[in-house]
Amino acid sequence: MTDTTGAGPEPAGGGTVLEVTGLHRAFGSVQAVHDVSFSLARGGSLGIVGESGSGKTTTARIVVGLERADAGRVMVCGRDRSGQPGRGRTQRLERAREVQMVFQDPFLSLDPRVSVGNVLREALRLHFPETRVDHARRVGELLDQVGLGSREAAALPRQLSGGQRQRVAIARALAVKPAVLVLDEAVAALDVSVQAQILNLLADIRRDTGIGYLFITHDLGVVRCVTDDVVVMRHGRVVEAGPTADVLADPRHAYTRLLLDSVPRPGWNPKHIAAARRAL
Amino acid sequence: MTTPAETTLDMRGLRLHLPGAARPVLAGIDLTVAERETVALVGESGSGKSLTSRSVLRLLPPGATTEGVIAVQGEDVLAMNAKRLRHLRTHTAAMIFQDPRAAINPLRRVGDFLTESLRLNADLSDDTAAERAARMLDAVGLGERVLGQYPGQLSGGMLQRVMIASALMGDPALILADEPTTALDVTTQAEVVGLLDDLRERFGTGLLFVTHDLGLAAAISDRVYVMYAGRIAETGPAQAMFERPRHPYTAALLRSTPRLATPQGRLAAIKGQPPSLREELTGCPFAARCAFTTPVCTEELPPHVPVRSEPTRLVACHHSDELADQLAESALHD
Repeated sequence: MTDTTGAGPEPAGGGTVLEVTGLHRAFGSVQAVHDVSFSLARGGSLGIVGESGSGKTTTARIVVGLERADAGRVMVCGRDRSGQPGRGRTQRLERAREVQMVFQDPFLSLDPRVSVGNVLREALRLHFPETRVDHARRVGELLDQVGLGSREAAALPRQLSGGQRQRVAIARALAVKPAVLVLDEAVAALDVSVQAQILNLLADIRRDTGIGYLFITHDLGVVRCVTDDVVVMRHGRVVEAGPTADVLADPRHAYTRLLLDSVPRPGWNPKHIAAARRAL
Repeated sequence: MTTPAETTLDMRGLRLHLPGAARPVLAGIDLTVAERETVALVGESGSGKSLTSRSVLRLLPPGATTEGVIAVQGEDVLAMNAKRLRHLRTHTAAMIFQDPRAAINPLRRVGDFLTESLRLNADLSDDTAAERAARMLDAVGLGERVLGQYPGQLSGGMLQRVMIASALMGDPALILADEPTTALDVTTQAEVVGLLDDLRERFGTGLLFVTHDLGLAAAISDRVYVMYAGRIAETGPAQAMFERPRHPYTAALLRSTPRLATPQGRLAAIKGQPPSLREELTGCPFAARCAFTTPVCTEELPPHVPVRSEPTRLVACHHSDELADQLAESALHD
């Protein structure tokens, strides 16, 4: 575990790191996720686009293991994750190393009393207890990878800006060298100029490490910028899927067209969109 | 457009100091909104855009001190007594906030919420107020049934319409909308923005729309103000400004926004972060992050000067003229 750019566990099954087949999940009478399937190529970036209630976040949480599916299968690196999760600590840690998640608000996902350096050290100590001697160096590497310095390492989350906190969350996720990083609206709360910095950082990390991204977002501009393929979800179902450039340039489903038309731009006509929405 | 029939809001030289800050949070804001006009106020967090809009209702943070004039229909808000201020907030200017759920009491019915201000401040009978509430709900596309419902029974989009209806209750001359669609889905956003636009036309209301979304500002407004670190960096008609930005900050914001037309790859991010309130600023507030900084930028504060041959545009940049062509490359194309 000394290389800094490794992509984590070797995928057993060829070019696909994540394969999701026929996921179902109901909350009471609401079918939140209905027959959702997609796959993420090794080192690829897949966007899931949809509005609130589309099931995109539930899907992401099932992939990570924070939510269970009623039916369907999630394969990561050729291993099935969808069965009963193991109760043992070793098994749970193993699962955590395959897929990591970055949330929208890093302030809520970081302990306010733990310094940035200790956040990373904690993650390393938990997952790689046998290589403790290397941890100090690895913390430095991780901070460097996300563009933070030693000053930030000593800081508490509240002493950092929103963009810096999101960098910490990304570094913590990268610490265990996951094969897949799930980003749930990870740049949605950031200002435009900071969002651009984080999107660039994510592009660099993917290029350097070959990690795969599952990018959950409502922002089509962001999807265009950071994903190779895209899945459009509505009311729990996949309504359209394909290479991002093709789907955005030539949408086939009326809902995808509506989403595209809804992006404000000069000459935009909100009344047409409202009418199209009601017609759908 | 920019030939104001009557100036609904006329803010002149607004400065706002907060205890503990090394520099004014608002450092001389000049801003106007005319009758029926939509004006967008664009900026990132900490730029002072929300403070600017909230100060119109004198909703100031504790300990804040102000200088300057905020005239709403000719009367200075900063000089009003309590009674006039209540009248302003009930009848003249209304505010719509980003998160409707945080701005409404979840334990009271929508009808109570809508009529409260009029019943308390305008001596209207309950029946008259309820009738007006029903009319306003109808104007925002909601049925009378909503009057008896609780906030928790409504979706975010419906609740934001309730907030708009509540803003219209006092028949205001000015609506201040602070990121009113940021918490909504894109298709719902279109609906709410279309609605605001309709109502502005119908009731002759002036609209100050605070947003961080340049695309949205370009799509809906007649004029735009771009704010940075408590100052106006650039202002002018929306179309001209987004086609030919004249301030490096406006151009950089446009370039760093991921758009449908930009291919996959790296964005032109703006380096660094906005200046903290603990730092004093000399010279141009954007100098530390600007790609075109020269010594004069860090030494002298750039004044607001009209753009050559475009007298309705003002820009605060020492190098605006020489950079015009370079900056135009960041234009917001369809």
